[in-house]
Amino acid sequence: MEKTYAQALNNALQNGKKEDELVSWLLTHLKAEGRTKLLPAIVRELKALQARTKTLGATVEVALEADKATALTEARAEGIDATEVTVNPNLISGWRAREGGRLIDRSGKRALVDIYRRITS
Amino acid sequence: MDSIIKRIEAEIASFSPIKGQEETGVVRATGDGIAEIDGLEKAVMAEMVMFDPTFDRALEDALKDADVTYGLILNLEEDGVRAAILGDASKVYEGMLVRRLGRLLSIPVGENLIGRVVNPLGAPVDGKGPVADTTERPIEREAYGVIDRSPVNTPIHTGIKAIDAMTPIGRGQRQLIIGDRGTGKTTIAIDTILNQKSEDPSTRPICVYVAIGQKESKTARIVAELFEKGAMEYSIVVTAPASNPAAFQFLAPFAGVSIAEYFMEKGKDVLIIYDDLSKQAVAYRQMSLLLRRPPGREAYPGDIFYLHSRLLERSAKLSKEKGGGSITALPIIETQENDISAYIPTNVISITDGQIFLETDLFNKGLRPAINVGVSVSRVGSAAQTKAMKKVSGKIKLELAQFRELEAFMQFASDLDENTKRQIDSGRRLTETLKQPNGKPLAFEMEAAVIYAATNGFFDTFPPEDTAKAESRLQEFLLREAQDELKAIRESRDLSDETIETLRGKLTQFVERS
Repeated sequence: MEKTYAQALNNALQNGKKEDELVSWLLTHLKAEGRTKLLPAIVRELKALQARTKTLGATVEVALEADKATALTEARAEGIDATEVTVNPNLISGWRAREGGRLIDRSGKRALVDIYRRITS
Repeated sequence: MDSIIKRIEAEIASFSPIKGQEETGVVRATGDGIAEIDGLEKAVMAEMVMFDPTFDRALEDALKDADVTYGLILNLEEDGVRAAILGDASKVYEGMLVRRLGRLLSIPVGENLIGRVVNPLGAPVDGKGPVADTTERPIEREAYGVIDRSPVNTPIHTGIKAIDAMTPIGRGQRQLIIGDRGTGKTTIAIDTILNQKSEDPSTRPICVYVAIGQKESKTARIVAELFEKGAMEYSIVVTAPASNPAAFQFLAPFAGVSIAEYFMEKGKDVLIIYDDLSKQAVAYRQMSLLLRRPPGREAYPGDIFYLHSRLLERSAKLSKEKGGGSITALPIIETQENDISAYIPTNVISITDGQIFLETDLFNKGLRPAINVGVSVSRVGSAAQTKAMKKVSGKIKLELAQFRELEAFMQFASDLDENTKRQIDSGRRLTETLKQPNGKPLAFEMEAAVIYAATNGFFDTFPPEDTAKAESRLQEFLLREAQDELKAIRESRDLSDETIETLRGKLTQFVERS
């Protein structure tokens, strides 16, 4: 049940409802239904949802500082709209972007790993 | 060295990086061989996913261990998916990238699998290198419908007198072998595989032995026996030993039947043995509980019946239009305390076309194979029984049932009339005749001749306890002196009046000489 409450809160938040109003509605509702003891569990579920949203949020990584702007533009063209770009030298070259369940990997590392797998398999 | 360099250069030249987008997820939690994954929004049931260890590592570290682990999606939930890890679960960690492969779980199948031992993913485990020239085939598929099937009408001989005479099996049938541990279930299955050696290569079935949750030592012994007796020439072993994760044990029968279907669709006959489905049910229960599916009776999930019915329905005798191939299934179920009315046994009994019930008491009395004649039945096999076997075995079941009744009565009665004594002796002789040692399946024509001798009083001159010895001598005698009669039975699959007459003459000679 706590999962359902947390998901409903999250959906309402995404639909533009105000946080203060949502909290006050939730507390009133839980008191009326005699379910206030669910509050800690709802908070736990909300934290899990927040962590999940963060994990699946839009990210863009580049191998070189100089590629930041290009990577952001190219990722946006592919439908991934990130606000920040992080530098990850492990990529060797190129960039990669991720949002939700989508991944675009244009890095040199991915290309090398793929070639390695094809040769060794 | 030059060729290696050239090959690598060609690979690099032909390489084109993935242009589009990939669907990926992230492992939220993992444990007990199950991974909870966020982000795979478009994933479908039974789809394969790949846990990629290289994504968040530096290239040098990534190439040290670039082997991927595969997973099988088994639960689609509101906020993610759950997948069974098909491999080393310790390599899967929280935050790991998971890629969708966009295909259902498949295994490589092909002619070259014959003679090999593979795991449920089709990877060889016999140390003989990769299997060449294979094609991918999904392990789950719908069974053939009514229109594509034809009735079971051709026998598959087990080489075990008691079975071929009383509970005959037809090609395309599903005959359950059920009994407590240590009652000879696997022996019957292996003897059936061994007996196919005596079949003509054009009609000889391909045999697939699926070992589920068995000790590796037992599987190794079986494989060694099959090799030693030349049966691996037409056999394939799929093994998911007890040391494998539950997912492998759950998948092994489906992998086996996929291999079998490949051959069936080529018009061949296949014999598949599932040893055993109780262990598969236990593995599936474990997975279902870990996947947080609601438990039902004995904590098995609600779809445990469907697990076995969809597997066994894939055994079929195809119509001529579909090539006429067949899959005969011999599933094995282990009972506890001979209780065939338990949950899984009753399920599988109701799905199959008959059962061979092996009893501990009979086994301990030395009656081997320890078949309980009263409870064992073949629902479709008699339609496939050869005329010869039908003629000689018509009354055996009734005679044995009457004997068992008299035998029970005999424990209380001290004085028996001559007729009853004769009936009891005859029953004893018949029982002794149906005994058969391990690994000694008989050719069909020999079975028919021996059963003919037993049911027509040719062993009556021997004391009941010496019948087994007499039978053994009779076999030697027939091989030496009655080749023509045996050949006639083998070729015509019948016992004509003429053959009966000459066979009776030979049997009389045998009795006189003994």
